[in-house]
Amino acid sequence: MFETRRLSSKIVLQLVLTIMVIPYLFPLIAMVQESLAGQGAGNYKAVWAVGVVPEFFRNSAIIAAGVIVIVYCLTMLAAFGFSKLHIRGREIYFWMMLAALTLPEVVLLTPLFSTATRLGMYNTYFSVMIPLAALQIPFAVLLTRSFVNGIPDELFDAARVDGASAARIFWSIIIPLTRPMAAAIIILTLIGAWNDYLLPLVFLQTPATQTITLLPSFFVSQFSDDQTKVAAASVITAIPEIIAYLCLQRLFERGLTAGALK
Amino acid sequence: MTRTAADPAVRSSPKPGSRRAPAGRAAARTRRRGLRRSSGLPWILPAFIFVVGTVYYCIGYTGYISTLSWDGVSPTPQHVGLANYAQVFHDPVFWDTIRHTVVFFAVTFTVQTAIGFSFAALLHSKVRLPNLYKVIIFIPVVLAPATMAPIFRQIFSATGQFNTILEHIGLGALAQPWLAQSSTALPVIMAITVWEWTGVTFILYFAAMTQIEPEILEAARIDGASGVTALARIVWPAVRGTTIALGMLSVIGALKTFDVPYLVTTGGPNFATEFLGTFIYRVSIPQAEVGYGAALSIMLLILALGGALAFGLRGTRRS
Repeated sequence: MFETRRLSSKIVLQLVLTIMVIPYLFPLIAMVQESLAGQGAGNYKAVWAVGVVPEFFRNSAIIAAGVIVIVYCLTMLAAFGFSKLHIRGREIYFWMMLAALTLPEVVLLTPLFSTATRLGMYNTYFSVMIPLAALQIPFAVLLTRSFVNGIPDELFDAARVDGASAARIFWSIIIPLTRPMAAAIIILTLIGAWNDYLLPLVFLQTPATQTITLLPSFFVSQFSDDQTKVAAASVITAIPEIIAYLCLQRLFERGLTAGALK
Repeated sequence: MTRTAADPAVRSSPKPGSRRAPAGRAAARTRRRGLRRSSGLPWILPAFIFVVGTVYYCIGYTGYISTLSWDGVSPTPQHVGLANYAQVFHDPVFWDTIRHTVVFFAVTFTVQTAIGFSFAALLHSKVRLPNLYKVIIFIPVVLAPATMAPIFRQIFSATGQFNTILEHIGLGALAQPWLAQSSTALPVIMAITVWEWTGVTFILYFAAMTQIEPEILEAARIDGASGVTALARIVWPAVRGTTIALGMLSVIGALKTFDVPYLVTTGGPNFATEFLGTFIYRVSIPQAEVGYGAALSIMLLILALGGALAFGLRGTRRS
C-alpha cells in the first residue's frame, strides 16, 4: 500500500508498525512477568498442586466437542436443505433462524435457568452445550448455505441421473465439498464455546463441571487474591489457546474472516 | 469452481440479502429439475427445531416473566402487567447503561477501525517479519476475555504496571488508580475491548485489501498521489463493505458486552461501567428480581434487533 522504494521510508514504516504493536504485546508480557514474580516457577507448582486444572480443561474440551458435533451435523443437513432442495416458504424458515443471530445470551438466562432446574439439567454439561449450540447454528447455517449455493446444480443433476438419492448426494457430494467451510465453522464454534463465560458462570457450580474460563475466578478465591498465582493460572489457560492458534493460524484467520464477512 | 465461493476472502459483501435475488432466480429456473423435487423440510427441521425451539421458547418465556414480580423460586409470582417496563424507563441506571453502550460503541468502533485499517495497510506494504506482527495482533482474539481479566485488573491497579510505565517515561504525574474512579474506568474497559478485537478488524481489512487491483494503486501513484492520499481516496472507499459489516458487528458486540466489565470492574465504581448485560445479570441473579431482569432483557432484544436492522438497511441502501 505504501511506497517503500527508499530505504528511509522502509525504516519509517517498520518503526511505525513496531510502535503500534507494542501495546498489543504489553499485556501478554505483563501476564508472564507477573506469574513469575515472587516464588517464580513456584507459582505454577502451587496452581498445579491444587489439582483442579486438568479437570477444568477436560470439562471445557467435552463442552466444546459436544457443541461442535451438534453444530456441524445440524448445520450441514440444514445448509443442504436450504440451498439445494425444495421447501415451501423457505425464506421464512431461514429468516426465523437468522433472527437468533443478534440475540445476546444474557436474555436467555432466566428461562434457561428455571427450565434447566425443572428438568434436572442444572450443573450438567448439557445446560451449557444446548444454548451455546443454538446460538452458533444460525451463523453456521448462513455461512454454509451460501457456500453450498456456489456448488453448481449440474453436479447434483448428474448424480440424480445416476440414481443417487438425496441422502447419498448429501453424503458423497455435500460432505466432501464443504470441507473448507466446515473447518472455518469448527474453529469459530471452538472459539465461541471455549471462551464463553456467562453460561458456565450461571449453570456450572462445581469444579467437576466448570470450564477453564471460570478458572481465574476460582483461583482468585482459592489464593485470596494472590495476584502472582492468579496470573500463573491465566498463563496456564492461555498457552493451549496460543499453541492451537499458532498451529492452525490460517484456519483461525479464515474462520474469523468467513464469520464476519458473510 | 467451488473455489470462488470457498475462499471467504473473495467475498466482501456483508449482506446475505444482496445475494438472495440471483439465488432465487436460479432456484426458480431449476425447480422442476432433478433434486428440487425432493422436499428439503426433513433436512432443515433438526436445526430449525433446535434453534427456534430453544431461542423462541426462551424469548416467549422471558416475555411472560417480564409481566411478573417474581424472585425466580417462589411458587406464587404476582402478575403486575407492564409495571416492570414502566420501572425500566424510570430507572436512572438503565439510561446510564444506554449511554455507556453508545459511547462504548462509538469509541471502540472508531479506534478499532483506525488501528485495524492502519495495520492492514502497513502489512500490505513491504515490511519485514509481517507474520510476527500479525500473530501479536491476533493472539488477543483467541484468548478468552475471562483469562485476561485478572491480568488487566492488575495492570490498571494503583500499583500496576501501567502506572509503573508512566513513571518510567516521565509521566508519573498521570499515574492514578484507573479502575477505582468513575472517570477512568469506562475508558479502561474500552481500551481492553479494543485490545481484544483489533485482530478481527485487522484481518478483515487485510483480506479486503487483497481484492484491490495493484494497477489502480500504481496508476494513482504515477499521477502523483502520495501513499496517504491513495489510502484515503482509493483503499478506504474500496473496503466500505467491510467497514459496514464491522459496524454491525460492533453494534451487536456493544449490546452484548458482559465479560470485560463484569470481570474487571463488576460494573463499578458507582455504575460507571454498567452495561445492559451486566445490569441484567445483576438484577436477575444476585438480586433475584427476575421479572425486572426479564423486562430489561426484552428491551435489550429490541435494541439488538433494531440496531442490526438499521445497519443492515443502511448497508443495502447505499450499495
